[in-house]
Amino acid sequence: MTSQQNPLGRIYILPEAIKSVARHAVLQSYGVISLAPANLFEAAIQFLRKNHSYGINVSADSEGLYLDINLVIEYGLRIKTVTDSVAEAVKYNVEKTMGIPVNRVNVHVRGLRISNPD
Amino acid sequence: MNGKSIAILSEAERHRLVQSPLDGEGLKLMFEAGLIWLTTNQQYVNSLNVFPVPDGDTGTNMVLTMQAAFAEAETKSTNNVGEMAHAFAQGALMGARGNSGVILSQIWRGFSRALDHYERMDSALFVRALQEARNTAYKGVVRPVEGTILTVIKDMTAAVEETGTSESKLSDLLITLVQAGDESVKRTPELLPILKQAGVVDSGGTGLYYIFEGMLRLIEGLPLDVSTAVVKPLSELDFANTLETVEEGQDYEVVIDFAPHAEFSLENYYHGLSDIGTSIQVGEGDGIYRMHIHVPLDKRYEPIAYTESLGIVKKIAMENLQDQMNSKKGESAKIKFTPLEPGQVAVVAVSPGEGLSRIFASLGAAAVVAGGQTMNPSVKEIVAAFENLPTDKIIILPNNKNIILAAQNAAKVSVKQISVIPTRNAPQGFAAMLRLLPEGTLEENEESMREAIMEVHTGEITTATRDVTIDDVHVEKNSVIGLLDGKLIVSTHSVEDALSDLLTKARVEDFERITLFYGEGMTLPRVNQMVDKIREQYPEHEVEVHDGGQPNYQLIIAIE
Repeated sequence: MTSQQNPLGRIYILPEAIKSVARHAVLQSYGVISLAPANLFEAAIQFLRKNHSYGINVSADSEGLYLDINLVIEYGLRIKTVTDSVAEAVKYNVEKTMGIPVNRVNVHVRGLRISNPD
Repeated sequence: MNGKSIAILSEAERHRLVQSPLDGEGLKLMFEAGLIWLTTNQQYVNSLNVFPVPDGDTGTNMVLTMQAAFAEAETKSTNNVGEMAHAFAQGALMGARGNSGVILSQIWRGFSRALDHYERMDSALFVRALQEARNTAYKGVVRPVEGTILTVIKDMTAAVEETGTSESKLSDLLITLVQAGDESVKRTPELLPILKQAGVVDSGGTGLYYIFEGMLRLIEGLPLDVSTAVVKPLSELDFANTLETVEEGQDYEVVIDFAPHAEFSLENYYHGLSDIGTSIQVGEGDGIYRMHIHVPLDKRYEPIAYTESLGIVKKIAMENLQDQMNSKKGESAKIKFTPLEPGQVAVVAVSPGEGLSRIFASLGAAAVVAGGQTMNPSVKEIVAAFENLPTDKIIILPNNKNIILAAQNAAKVSVKQISVIPTRNAPQGFAAMLRLLPEGTLEENEESMREAIMEVHTGEITTATRDVTIDDVHVEKNSVIGLLDGKLIVSTHSVEDALSDLLTKARVEDFERITLFYGEGMTLPRVNQMVDKIREQYPEHEVEVHDGGQPNYQLIIAIE
């Protein structure tokens, strides 16, 4: 995935590690109810395996990381503001803990949870 | 909304507000009081950010959210408390700004749901509404972070749940609530380590506390447009900056030095002054008080007479603000933009200071939008700047990381071809401007500008707003700090030291040119002395100086 050099050798950071930092940041953001499977394939795996981590996709090139976040938001919130703060929180936390620049964070709202219709 | 204030209620009106169950009009008054008190304390809430540069915006975001909410409620002519709360919640939802604004909108949404269909709100219903507000706010997040606005609404609710019975008066409940809120806010650093490290309390929680305290102050008949009556040391009074916010009709600034009589009460003094004017500040030093106030023309002698009745007046200074503002406005109108041929590429730059605007204009910008760290321009303001330009090829330079998003949104809503170059500060903006080829295509320009901004390094020197330790640099309040490309690298006591440290750390010897833009509070002779030193130290470098006129930052430095 991404690798950096230190005096003793190389450091490899794998997507799973980046995903767990991102997941934590997403779930702490106000307004986010849960992550959501990005497609049918992910949904199928989620059904078969209980603790599969779904909803976040990571890729990288020389410019930095690209993250795709799929999530469900609480109904009755201003979605634009929530997604803005999710993107910001993910970028900030990944850059701070991993030291790799985050080039893009795409947020896909897969659904809304309606706990109180009003 | 700013500067607007509701009159202090009469005894009878207050009595009506607290005795009978609250009706729709009463609730509207309460919301308005909360909004005004929050607005009064907005700058304080803004200052509670974790990073010590002046860019906090929680207070502003909450005020804007409350304003949107109140605007919706204001148009309602219903006396039904449920309908009023519903309008308020709807407005908050539509106008929610920032994270704290979103949570605030959820709080009002829960609050209004509990009031649904009710004509009036009594104490029991108020408690239920708060419970619903708390529950709704917590529903919005799977892993709540404690030590935030959520904790404050939870603690406030818990306090009234315990003491509130159906017989308690609404005003008593508010007292309990506000007290619990105060304690809760003070506890936030214990719950959230990052707050403790930064030495602040949570900003969102503080904002919420001010909203409810405003309601209580309305009931208690205390003024809402004057910051709490604390005496600040004279050095902290910043009269110069209050000029920026002259309200219409407040034409004169009066400053009086006086020695008060023994029985002087500051609270009463503020109260008396608030009947005469606005922007009241009182400072104390060596037994002498200094009072500052903005008053309308016909009341300009009243503060003097009033103060004379309370103490011995030593000195009086009076200035005509309207006249000063007019001459200020006249100056800024003189910026000359480069005329544009139809079809050329036009640049719109966001600029935090007048001097910087002039430089952008002289480099060929077609328009400038005022905005910076603490006042981000809206999408609408940005669009308005380029909408009428005679070309559809537009480049936007946001010149601040907080404005990039607004610029991109402006690009989306316009039919013109727009490219946003993500410049994070003025020097990057200038570097981009120098590459402008008005006859070229948008793509060519974008590419070479993006290259240009990678090549310039930016130093910023500002004053810390409070104590903090970040990246192993210890910062004390009011010390001078230096940031290199947004990272805090030096904290010291003078601008001169900060500049020399910053240049060393930036490895200036590897570059060719240093440009200084000096801002508010700096004078040209002082900057010239610094330039002489730089020239001595780096004789090979080209050094330039410009009057940037930016607020907050004493110096912005471009290193290329």
